[in-house]
Amino acid sequence: MPGHLRFENVTRRFGSFTAVDRVSLEIEKGEVFSLLGPSGCGKTTLLRMAAGFDVPDEGRIFLDGVDITRLPPDQRPVNTVFQSYALFPHLTIRENIAFGPKLSKRSPAEIRSEVERMLELVDLTAHADKKPTQLSGGQKQRVAIARALVNKPKVLLLDEPLAALDLKLRQRLLVELDAIHDEVGITFIYVTHDQGEAMSISDRIAVMNKGVVEQTGKPAEIYEAPRTSFVAAFIGDTNFLDGKITSRIDGRFSKCAIEGIGEITIDNDKPTNPGDLVHLSLRPEKIIVSRGKPELRENENSVPGVIEDIIYFGSHTRLWVRCGGWRLCAETQHRTYQLDDTPLKWGDTIHLRWHANDGYLLEQYREEDESLLTLPDEE
Amino acid sequence: MKPSRIPLVTTCIVLAFFYLPIAALVAKSFNSSRFSPEWKGFTLKWYSRLFERDDILAALVNSLKVAVIAASASMLLGTCAAFALHRYKSRLQDAHRVMVNVPLVLPDILMGMSLLLLFIAAGVSLSLATVTIAHVTFCLSYVTLVVLARLQDFDPNIVEAARDLGATRFQAFRKITLPILFPGVLAGGLLAFTLSIDDYVVTFFVKGPGSDTLPTLVYSMIKKSKELPVINALSTLMLLFTFLLVFASQRLTRPVNR
Amino acid sequence: MKSRKPELLATAPSFLWLALFVFVPVAIIFAIAFRPALPAGGIGEGWSLEAIRSLKDPIYPSLLLRTVTISFVTTALCLALALPVAWHLAKLPPKWRSRILILIIIPFWTNFVIRVFSWQQILHAEGAIANGLRSIGLLGDSDRLLGNSAAVIIVSVYTYLPFAILPIFAAAEKFDFALLDAARDLGAKPFRAFRSVFLPGIRQGLVTAILIVFIPMLGSYVIPDMVGGTDSQMLGNKIAQRNFNDRNLPQAAALSCALTLLVLAPMLLRRKEKAG
Repeated sequence: MPGHLRFENVTRRFGSFTAVDRVSLEIEKGEVFSLLGPSGCGKTTLLRMAAGFDVPDEGRIFLDGVDITRLPPDQRPVNTVFQSYALFPHLTIRENIAFGPKLSKRSPAEIRSEVERMLELVDLTAHADKKPTQLSGGQKQRVAIARALVNKPKVLLLDEPLAALDLKLRQRLLVELDAIHDEVGITFIYVTHDQGEAMSISDRIAVMNKGVVEQTGKPAEIYEAPRTSFVAAFIGDTNFLDGKITSRIDGRFSKCAIEGIGEITIDNDKPTNPGDLVHLSLRPEKIIVSRGKPELRENENSVPGVIEDIIYFGSHTRLWVRCGGWRLCAETQHRTYQLDDTPLKWGDTIHLRWHANDGYLLEQYREEDESLLTLPDEE
Repeated sequence: MKPSRIPLVTTCIVLAFFYLPIAALVAKSFNSSRFSPEWKGFTLKWYSRLFERDDILAALVNSLKVAVIAASASMLLGTCAAFALHRYKSRLQDAHRVMVNVPLVLPDILMGMSLLLLFIAAGVSLSLATVTIAHVTFCLSYVTLVVLARLQDFDPNIVEAARDLGATRFQAFRKITLPILFPGVLAGGLLAFTLSIDDYVVTFFVKGPGSDTLPTLVYSMIKKSKELPVINALSTLMLLFTFLLVFASQRLTRPVNR
Repeated sequence: MKSRKPELLATAPSFLWLALFVFVPVAIIFAIAFRPALPAGGIGEGWSLEAIRSLKDPIYPSLLLRTVTISFVTTALCLALALPVAWHLAKLPPKWRSRILILIIIPFWTNFVIRVFSWQQILHAEGAIANGLRSIGLLGDSDRLLGNSAAVIIVSVYTYLPFAILPIFAAAEKFDFALLDAARDLGAKPFRAFRSVFLPGIRQGLVTAILIVFIPMLGSYVIPDMVGGTDSQMLGNKIAQRNFNDRNLPQAAALSCALTLLVLAPMLLRRKEKAG
């Protein structure tokens, strides 16, 4: 069954630079789907092509089975919320929201009631007769959303809608956006470079890098089972380890030799054979830290190391530990804390423990992605 | 560390310097003495003499005719030019930009002289029409500058937003671009109007016999030294008028996007 | 391939108008300079170097020198006055700033010719200023304030000063005055700081001010005509004289060519400096 909004091998080039490279996506009706990636990854270009402000060089875009690739923006049942809000400065809030309905030639009575309904939805009825310059950033954002939604589009496109707001406001509006989506129920396509936003609001995320979609999936899938080193490093933090498969234990687990550390147990996220070179991603919060050598349960790993860096965050502490030739990052949560406990300090020897399941075998590894980590391995 | 007094003192001296001739002008227009600079008593006779002078009124009408036509034409041409310069980046626009900037730095006398020679070479007889053409030529660049500045403040996203909400290209232009840009265009037109009314040198070169504008008439009156205080009365009135005009222009260029 | 038609359509009106009424006429000036003059006024057939050769006349070098000198002095005086004023304005609170700016601009809403005329009356030999200066001995009994280069310079400074103030002020407004504190902190005396930090900091404004005063001054005509004397004639007067009085168009054209080249010189210098 064809998805609600479908990109089929969409490519867009600017001279010799390929902004979007053969991207294919299927977005389900009613879901909140995010395009997440750093600036220049092509997510905004892809969104603009969905809106009609740009045309793909190759490939097609379908909405409910209809090919909309070359349709101009005013003929698509799609509306956009712009990063800069793009409110009409010479019109009042009410007139801004009424702009679309007036063009579709609905009856004045119908327009009035629709506009009032929208104003209530975004809680701006009291400000309806003001001009955009008289509103705050958060209020302008809500007007932009109302102006788009009043047209009852099939898909709402949001281009980094919270980027211009400060942190607290961003968090609050994110919750409001979520609530609006629940109430209105239409498909949202959300473009952002902020992984926190994407993870909290989305049903599914497409992680993009250099014009290519590296992985699509639910937030938990993306986080716990990253396909590539880019996805693993862009979202949250991780440790990268590489080694060689030495033997198979059973269907689920294998042994892997890592230079400087020794043999560890990994789980077979993808099919491997002895002798294969593999790359592992291990998230800091999965590592349990202890002073003494821990008792290992089945399929757990333990590695000793010396603390090189410590940062105390209050609710948790981050440690950078030298193990063999590797610098591993571990995160411990302070679920209980006694003030007369001896804190860990620089130079202490500690043991790192994790379960084979907590590491993840990457399908694709690129060394340059390490630069995305906080305090990466020194060269 | 005490800051130097020089800037403040200089500013006061400069301001006094600026207002000296203006004050003298206005004062003399009420002075009943014809020649002597001494004060001989308050009078309004120069103002009444002013209204009896048919030639001054005719010249005023000519000035207004030329200014209105020149302002309108340069509003049209200048707005087109500003759009082209703002929207497109190409070698053509680079050349275009240079061409638009030239009249701004060309001395009046060169513009007057060259246009005179053009009209002679083309066999066109000099009249108010040639004056109007000359005025459009130097006003164009100023209007372009004003509209271009306004365009640069203009958020291009809002045109996209209008298209996104269902407007065709033409509807977006009519409902969004035009209303926002229009005050800027009008301000440019007012600037052109004031420049045209004020011009002497270029007009002097390209006017025909009998098609005096106000500045050229005033100049010849000064040269002939006849009834000079009438000129003071005229200038006081013109000052008032320009005051109102520029005040209106300021109102219109108040930025919409703050 | 995107069509270029919209761009051509938008550019054509102004481009063609300017080509026809600015560039063609300037080219014509250069052409007419090479034509002979008819005795009754008017342009003869054929080509002749007569007008160009007439530029060798000994009156021209001194005329040229005077034109450049008067323009230079005016520009220098304008800068000297504009800098303190712009400095003062940049340091004022915004409310006062716009008020003083408007105060500066208001006098220039009167007609240019009339303003010069007003100076003519003020500087008149029997006028209050002349009498005042005589009474304190600064002016001799038979000296005149009018009809000489000094008058031309005074009235020119009056006319062009606002044009010098505005761009310098625009640059000063953007200048970070904390830089001067830094310079003082590092040991620079006030004038040194002004010279080595402030002036380079507003360079763009200074250059604009210089161009906006010097170049039009070179073509000055009305001011020397109204308040200058026979020995303070400038190039502009000569062009007008040749044109209207002597009715010798080719010579007027030849002089105009000279003026055009004179005007182009500082602009080309600026281009070179920008590229280099």
